[in-house]
Amino acid sequence: MNVVQAVKLYITKMTEESGPGMKVILMDKETTSIVSMVFSQSEILQKEVYLFERIDSHSKWDNMKHMKCIVFIRPTPENISLLLRELRYPKYGVYFIYFSNVISKADIKTLAECDEQETVREVQEVFADYLAVDRHLFSFNIVGCLQGRSWNAQHLQRCAQGLLALLLSVKRRAVVRYEAASEPCARLAERVRDLLRREAVLIDNNIPFNGEIPTPQLLIVDRRDDPVTPLLSQWTYQAMVHELLTINNNRVSLAHVPEVPKDMKEVVLSSEQDEFYAKNLYSNFGEIGQTMKSLMDEFQKKAKSQQKVESIADMKNFVETYPLFKKMSGTVTKHVTVVGELSACVSRHNLLEVSELEQEISSQSDHSKHLQRLKNLLTNEAVRQHDAAKLVALYALRYEKHASNALPALIEALKTRGAPEHLLKSVVNLLEYGGAHARQSDLFGLQDAVKITKRLFKGLNGVENIYTQHTPLLKDTLEDLIKGKLRENLYPTLGGEDGPYGRRPQDIIVFIVGGATYEEALCVHQINQAYPGVRVVLGGTAIHNSTSFFEEVKSAMQGVHRTHTRHIRNV
Amino acid sequence: MATANDDEILEGFLCPICKADLKSASQLTSHFESLHSEEQDVLRSLKEIFGKAKKIILNNDDSDLKETFDRALKFSYQEHRWLDEEQVIGVSRSSTDYLKAVRSARLERYATETNKLLIRLDKLVCNMPAEPNQRKQHEQEVVPWLDGSSVKLCPNCAKAFNLTRRKHHCRLCGSILCHDCSTFLDINVARAIVDPSAPRTSQPDHEITEKNGLRLCEHCFNLIELRKQVQESRNAKTVLVTAYEQMRSLMDQARPDVAMYEKMCQSLFDGETTYNLTDVNKMRGRIGKLAEGIDLLSKQIAAFPAEPGTRQARLQTAIRHAAAHYIKEDLISLRKLPTEAQIEEVRQQRYERAEKQIQMERERMERQRQRKEEIAGPSASRVDTRQDDEDSPLLEQMNIIREYIKEARRDMKYEEVAILEANLKELKKEYHLQKLSNKS
Repeated sequence: MNVVQAVKLYITKMTEESGPGMKVILMDKETTSIVSMVFSQSEILQKEVYLFERIDSHSKWDNMKHMKCIVFIRPTPENISLLLRELRYPKYGVYFIYFSNVISKADIKTLAECDEQETVREVQEVFADYLAVDRHLFSFNIVGCLQGRSWNAQHLQRCAQGLLALLLSVKRRAVVRYEAASEPCARLAERVRDLLRREAVLIDNNIPFNGEIPTPQLLIVDRRDDPVTPLLSQWTYQAMVHELLTINNNRVSLAHVPEVPKDMKEVVLSSEQDEFYAKNLYSNFGEIGQTMKSLMDEFQKKAKSQQKVESIADMKNFVETYPLFKKMSGTVTKHVTVVGELSACVSRHNLLEVSELEQEISSQSDHSKHLQRLKNLLTNEAVRQHDAAKLVALYALRYEKHASNALPALIEALKTRGAPEHLLKSVVNLLEYGGAHARQSDLFGLQDAVKITKRLFKGLNGVENIYTQHTPLLKDTLEDLIKGKLRENLYPTLGGEDGPYGRRPQDIIVFIVGGATYEEALCVHQINQAYPGVRVVLGGTAIHNSTSFFEEVKSAMQGVHRTHTRHIRNV
Repeated sequence: MATANDDEILEGFLCPICKADLKSASQLTSHFESLHSEEQDVLRSLKEIFGKAKKIILNNDDSDLKETFDRALKFSYQEHRWLDEEQVIGVSRSSTDYLKAVRSARLERYATETNKLLIRLDKLVCNMPAEPNQRKQHEQEVVPWLDGSSVKLCPNCAKAFNLTRRKHHCRLCGSILCHDCSTFLDINVARAIVDPSAPRTSQPDHEITEKNGLRLCEHCFNLIELRKQVQESRNAKTVLVTAYEQMRSLMDQARPDVAMYEKMCQSLFDGETTYNLTDVNKMRGRIGKLAEGIDLLSKQIAAFPAEPGTRQARLQTAIRHAAAHYIKEDLISLRKLPTEAQIEEVRQQRYERAEKQIQMERERMERQRQRKEEIAGPSASRVDTRQDDEDSPLLEQMNIIREYIKEARRDMKYEEVAILEANLKELKKEYHLQKLSNKS
């Protein structure tokens, strides 16, 4: 179940079926992202695909009859009408059409009627209908999937289609389980079940039923059950880059960084094309610096040079003085720039201190101490307003029911330090979105005797790293599922030919309505390592950092009356 | 609420034995050392944990540089072992047959009509008289014109005919239409349509009028235009396409050559004698030539005239990019050849190894023979008389194969060289064995 590979195989199939010759690929906005997530431009060029065109671009008509056109689009009504226009006045010699999802017979009929010049050679449905971020991670890039707590109809449809496509692309017959307390999860689960039923023939013909292995499970959970994870500062490389610099379709913009080299204005971070990145995706920040330093030391030994490499600035100098190193180490140079920027952010905004408190609030319990430290940090000017709001939001979630909860005072403190209105609202919104009333699980481990014991043990073991104390709720959920202990009344099952009761699933696809995070991706990666034979793929409506998560919450709480935060009068 | 407060006291640096809160890691450790010295195991584990935590936080990890270098750049596949399952391509569904069925049913209707029109068009443009009146007569002979007496309105735009809006006829179907609704087909273009082998005329820059064009109704014009388009796309093979195809064929040639080169190189490094250095050098030269050819053609393609910013221009630069990338990645970055001395060294080592093996083999046989002699006595010392007769065909065959190898080398068919060399080796072995057995 490697989702990157699944998409790659589909795209390779497209380029191969059209045979030799000069090719152009005609895509829409979403499929462009889907392709660019898994292939670099030079890789595609080697497949004889020389032009990349958008179906919705209004450019001049050219006679390009010597080219073969691969059309890869989502089957939306707009795309189909654009395609009809293209076929009426075809620019290219022949057309190979691939839809990224199910298309109706009626639409194919209209296509046939427009194809008067008989230029269409193939019409197919391939199911590469999701952004494959990593081998075990996918997303639909939808920020704000819920509006006023319920699904935006379009987004619901998109997610259901995408999940259907995912199951078909990795050839799994799955049953659907969902979080019972969440209405959006139930809606999505039903929709996916309906789509699966509708395509029963396709599935029966292509995915043989295998009674040997337990039925794969598609588990749909709600972000509202764990609003804490997206708020935390991250220290593993990928997650950290996303939190501080924002990864968008595997691309990171460094344009705002002063004196950044021209070719580094936008860098691609893809574990498929970049070995250093693939290797260090989940390394923590310190380890990466160490690795880079050792690489440079090693090189210096060879170059017999005496230049000191002690700081990130030294590393930058080093790269500039040794073009050979640049060549040898390939992408490492890029990462020196990225890590340089990260380290600048960390020291500029006091992130170490902020993160330490975040971690403690999320995984320990000491109200008075936390409140004191939080108040101190709020008076520190180096701390960004955004981080201050994040801390207050964490406090609000963690000590929501605490007898001496001081949230109004903290909000007042935010106001005093000049935090903008929208951040104040975010804090309240977040509490309304993911407060205790909205959560099905015991997020902070307050009720469960087992969890309390676990924490006792944790205290005993000491803290391995104060910046990575927190483990996402998803880990517990997945471990329960793998051990066959996930409770049926909390996570009921829909459809499927045999009940999964008592059988421990090996193939799991878990989808988070409201967005996943890279911290959870790391957690899934660790689970895949820790349980041989178990394969987990994680997906989300989006991959969030704290900024985009605030957006998500804002959209979800739009027009919702405050029922659980009415006591906070100063916002 | 109560639980939240209860578990507060369970946190901090608790001593696992007496549950005292020691406030810091070092204090806990020392407390433990002094009061619970009997629990050595726990102490060790505590120390380990703190050491580890320190390491992670402070990064004072001084591991071997070489190791980190490898760890950073070389991907350990073990990490992703769960993904090693072979992934097959996902489900897909083709609707091509359905599309074709719908399309052909629809186009068949058009096809008969278009063919009828083409026959008429052919008759019209062949022997068309230049003189207007004669031409009109010729046109009406081919296509009978509709009687216009009862037609009051233009069937297309529904405007009334009068003095200024005269009635006209479509020259292909004979129907009536007004001037505004008619379209004109250039006669030269029409000729090209009915006879594709006729020389192509460039697009006329003058306006097509009644005089140099055929008046057609929209319907007929569209059908004819469609036919023209299809024809054009079939004949779209331009200079660019030819150059491109040449380039691709060079690439196709280069691919097996590169694989062969790698194999030959490896064999040299292994000290085998199948190929010699000149062979491999020649191969390298050939790949170099192919690379040059590809480079030249791709430059040509990039230099074809195209307006900047158009698709054509982008296409040409993209092809050039792809070719340059291919040459750089696959053709130029070939492995460096070993020097004569290196080869000699490897061969020497190999030879010595082989020699040793032969020596051992010989000794073994010697011993066996002695043992046999002891058992069988003097009767075994019979001389084989057929020795000379056996020798000569083997030698002859070896010579023939040597000839073949020379030929194959000349033609640079290195696959064959490899096979023949292998044969030769076998023969040599056979020959040696025979000699040995003869001696004994």
